[in-house]
Amino acid sequence: MKNYKLVTIFVNERPVTAPVEPHESLLDFLRHKAGAVEVKCGCNQGDCGTCTVLFKGKAVKSCLVLALQANEKDVRTIKGFTGDFLMGKLQESFVRNGAVQCGFCTPGMLISSYAFLQADPQPTREEIKTAISGNLCRCTGYKKIIDAVEEAAFGEASTKKATSSGSPEISEGQEEAKGTYLLLGGG
Amino acid sequence: MISCDYFKPSEVGEALRLVSQFKERALFAAGCTNILPDIHSGKQKDCVLIDISDLEELTGISKCGNSMRIGSSTTISELLNSSLIRDEAPLLYEAALNFADPVVRNRATVGGNLAYASPAADMAVPLLALDSRVVVQSLDQGLREISLREFFVGPGETVLSPSELILRVEFNLSQNFKVFYVKVGKRNAMAISLASLGLALKIDQTIKDARLALGALAPTPIRACRTEDFLMGKFPEDKVMEEASEILLSEINPISDIRGSREYRVELTRSLFKRAFRAILSEERGLS
Amino acid sequence: MELKVIGKGVPKYDAWGKVKGEIIYADDFTMPGMLYGKVFRASVPRAKILSIDTSRAEKLPGVHAVITHKDIPRNNLKARFGQGSEIGAQFEGLYRVLAEGEVRYFGEPIALIAAEAPEITDKACELIDVQYEPLPGVFDPLEAMKPEAPQVGEKANNIASHFKIRKGNVEEGFAQAQVIVEGFYQVGYQDHAYLELESGVAWVDDDGTIVIRVSSQVIEHFREVAEVLDLPHSKVRYIGTLIGGGFGGKEDITVESYLALLAWKTRKPVKLTYTRKESLLVHSKRHPYYMYYKTGATRDGKIVALEARLISDAGSYAALSPWVLLYSTVDAAGPYNIPNIKVDSYAAMTNTPITSAFRGFGAPQVNFAYESQMNQLAQKLGMDPLELRKKNLLKQGDYLATGYVYDRPVPLDVLAEKAWKALGPKEESKKPHIKVGRGLAVGMCSYGRLTFLHDTSRSYLRLELDGSAVIRCGVPDVGGGQGHILTQIVSEELGVPLDLIKIHVTDSQLTPLAGTTTATRQLYMSGNATLKAARELKKRMIAKTAQLLSVKEEDLVVDQGKVVSRNDPTKYVALVPLINRMSADGEELFVEAQFNAPFTDVPESEIIEGRTHPDFTFGAYAVEVTVDEETGKVDLKRIVAAFDVGKALNPILVEGQIEGGAVQGMGYALMEDMVIKDGIIQTPSFAEYLIPTSKDVPDVEPLIMESMTGLGPYGAKGIGEPPIVGIAPAIVDAIDDACGVRITSLPATAEKILMEVKNKNKEKRAS
Repeated sequence: MKNYKLVTIFVNERPVTAPVEPHESLLDFLRHKAGAVEVKCGCNQGDCGTCTVLFKGKAVKSCLVLALQANEKDVRTIKGFTGDFLMGKLQESFVRNGAVQCGFCTPGMLISSYAFLQADPQPTREEIKTAISGNLCRCTGYKKIIDAVEEAAFGEASTKKATSSGSPEISEGQEEAKGTYLLLGGG
Repeated sequence: MISCDYFKPSEVGEALRLVSQFKERALFAAGCTNILPDIHSGKQKDCVLIDISDLEELTGISKCGNSMRIGSSTTISELLNSSLIRDEAPLLYEAALNFADPVVRNRATVGGNLAYASPAADMAVPLLALDSRVVVQSLDQGLREISLREFFVGPGETVLSPSELILRVEFNLSQNFKVFYVKVGKRNAMAISLASLGLALKIDQTIKDARLALGALAPTPIRACRTEDFLMGKFPEDKVMEEASEILLSEINPISDIRGSREYRVELTRSLFKRAFRAILSEERGLS
Repeated sequence: MELKVIGKGVPKYDAWGKVKGEIIYADDFTMPGMLYGKVFRASVPRAKILSIDTSRAEKLPGVHAVITHKDIPRNNLKARFGQGSEIGAQFEGLYRVLAEGEVRYFGEPIALIAAEAPEITDKACELIDVQYEPLPGVFDPLEAMKPEAPQVGEKANNIASHFKIRKGNVEEGFAQAQVIVEGFYQVGYQDHAYLELESGVAWVDDDGTIVIRVSSQVIEHFREVAEVLDLPHSKVRYIGTLIGGGFGGKEDITVESYLALLAWKTRKPVKLTYTRKESLLVHSKRHPYYMYYKTGATRDGKIVALEARLISDAGSYAALSPWVLLYSTVDAAGPYNIPNIKVDSYAAMTNTPITSAFRGFGAPQVNFAYESQMNQLAQKLGMDPLELRKKNLLKQGDYLATGYVYDRPVPLDVLAEKAWKALGPKEESKKPHIKVGRGLAVGMCSYGRLTFLHDTSRSYLRLELDGSAVIRCGVPDVGGGQGHILTQIVSEELGVPLDLIKIHVTDSQLTPLAGTTTATRQLYMSGNATLKAARELKKRMIAKTAQLLSVKEEDLVVDQGKVVSRNDPTKYVALVPLINRMSADGEELFVEAQFNAPFTDVPESEIIEGRTHPDFTFGAYAVEVTVDEETGKVDLKRIVAAFDVGKALNPILVEGQIEGGAVQGMGYALMEDMVIKDGIIQTPSFAEYLIPTSKDVPDVEPLIMESMTGLGPYGAKGIGEPPIVGIAPAIVDAIDDACGVRITSLPATAEKILMEVKNKNKEKRAS
């Protein structure tokens, strides 16, 4: 005998009311009842971070929250930041810095970064690494994501380049990559 | 098929009535960082979830005279944001820094970590070394204080009866302890402990007090009592450390699992104890 | 002429949709009346199936279909993995949709269920009764090769594949050698661990066409799915989604046949998405290898002979195992000029999950072995590892192990030196138990598919009347900008601004088939096809302008929105009026172009000779680690990755491949441990199978060389797979440098290292 309870969750400030079973997670609710498929499911065990949302203002893995625990509460997904200055900076920075490859980790990664920068607007690179350590990425190797968060915090000119001291650097323009180029004559 | 139920009590009394009604089926749900994966993996199919995440009585970090009180639904993030914890309970603070990952820390609770009673429970090690007490309540037994040293009985098992709720954790603030915490995992974040160790020593010429707690090295998190007894009254020097480490090895009982073999865990224990001991000694001598 | 768009790190066109959460990935899509699919799987690794009773499941309310092998028109196919032409028996494999009569591996699919809700499919699984008769299984390839081993596959002997390289005479070679290094290496599984799980939705169109909207690297599989259903190829259509990570794991058919069957049976849309546990338990993985190597050199460091014996675990269905084995065989001696080479390679079937494609495709495994050999040889000779490389690296004009003359530059000496020097002066650790070490390794990795596959790719380009452009190309996009880069090519060639270009990708019927997004081939193949289309259109535009202005064609160029004379800038026609004039005059303003890779013949024997691939990408890694000698933990401090990419069409995308590949390779080297026992994977979760987090890796430092000698557009080489080749042996070498232990099996876990350090210290004390 199924046991349903009615729940109302404010998803990006819009109330969504639906019946849920007691064991249903907030992730299930968001994807299947609220139509918020921008929140991803990578493992459903709390080990990957693709389901990260803002819940009561904090970054949480929505697969680890009971839908009923979110009753009458606010949940913000990546689509809930229209006009938000900090998120806008983060998104632009991610796009410009090549921090988005397949994009599957991106919504969760942005939310973790956003919550972090709100609490700590002037982080060190190590602190950024810690802040996103609950969000896995399999494509980028993390470097460009960290670059992007750093740039969103400090602005374009500040992005630390990780080339070693011995090599020449190309520094003009944002469109140039931050790697170092060696030329072996024309082909 | 999963058939669970859910209740949200508005105060502790109501929570206790519910759990006394549903007994073994009842599960206190706060951060749900273990409950939900257990439901998804089929380990929990038929539970009554009692949501205690919003109960005021279970929140808060405060200093009460000479003791620290931490509400059981305090999240690990809240521990990290507390200057009280950072300044007065550095062992706990260090363990919190190494707990899971920042996003999970926003939900995982101190009480939940203890109640789940994993042999690797990351909050257990510092709290054991701090000689903590768990304050629990139930309808039939009333209020009880349980020493954390007696709290864990086996992997996933505590002395709690099915109708008891952890209200808070308390420990006395002792001055003059030098502490060291280390956790070894297979990667640097989101890692279940392969071995964890918390050492607290009070030294005044000789060792006046010693507390040594270990995680993931026995069926439960433990205090290494015989090693502690050995250390008492001894001069803090290398040969004492060597002998203590051998006694310590007889107090642990690690298994081989997918994370590591028993032999490796034994080696780690030896290494980590010595590292902790030496670190405290260096601090004591004012060396860095 | 200076390139304007090519060489710029412009953002991908899909990046904004991804940061806004607007992309509809495979599992995000729903259709009205959609059912949910689930696979019912074997709960034993090896058995005869005596009976399958699905009657109780079929009766469960909400269940619309339960399918077993008997319901499938063609349950067994001789798979050519999307290839149209004959590829020879060595390279084909049995593709079996659902288990038939036997279970070969734990988790093998036995039945498919479609029901109105996921919980109902779960319940239905509990109601399916299968009677098994357990059979003896074999779970290790060395065991499987023994004559008495139980039979795994269709052949009596479990060797799915065997290849040979014979160059010169190794006996004579070893006789000349003054120093010999022998090594036995073992590498385990690696899981792709893409964050997006295998998923798709299928439905039957109003005309009976089966449409499958799926996350897949190979949309050409529509042919196989059609054959499974006994339908014409034209009646199965794949719509490929933007893929949330592939790495070769979505190269074989994953959910598509199941989706097609359930949609076809129920006549309703069906969605099927794996769980993470399911994916880790059963989906295809990188081949474990056992590798025995013997390298002989003269005292001054010239390698005179190399012998290798490779054994891969081909799993319970061969899948791409023969192909992967072929790559390993071709790459086994590494990028070195060695006069005498003998390689024997075997792929042995076992009752374990399928092993198939994964970034590198057989190259990372042998690279670990041959570079470990090189570094040990350097130690034995007392020679600098960089000097030893320089003495032996292939040069332009040398023969590869297969006897093929490599006629392009091999700048590995420069790359290795630059990488090594980039590490700068070594700072020793201040703590006694922390040791600092450095390691060097080089690698070669092919780009472009095996040439005997006769690879082709197509792309379509059309100019709009207002000067904007539309590209249609079947290329699957796994996140590396496979679609995006084609827009940069068109923008460069025709001067159309990027924001005026629209590209449609990955539809097996509505976009020209561009071939697989595998084998580091898309930039090379669909890039060249698109370049060809663009240049053809440019030619027509120039021809028309020449006619209109009475100017010679050779004098005209496309520049800044016009076709203009080089010699006289007042002689030009603006693009929009030109296009409209061409349209009015009935000229074709569209081109569909095809690009062919070089073609060779299918190898007929086990001996691999001659050209096997279009080309190779070369790279070098210099790595610095610290090793905690009390815990065995390795901390990666620096990773310098120097690659010759030919030409970086988009430097930010190129760096992204290098940085991502390095980290994926670092996981392979240090922490990705897929534990398997008696054919059952023991680590089926992300809490147990660990991939690197942000705190586990340093910032990778890419050094990019542009030799302009690639076969891709503008001289580009492929860079998708190559970065995963070279990092593992560099790390293992750095560990050796730090604490004196040589790890010969991956992953090089802290436990292995600590135990080796303890043994070494014990031996030291004893001696």
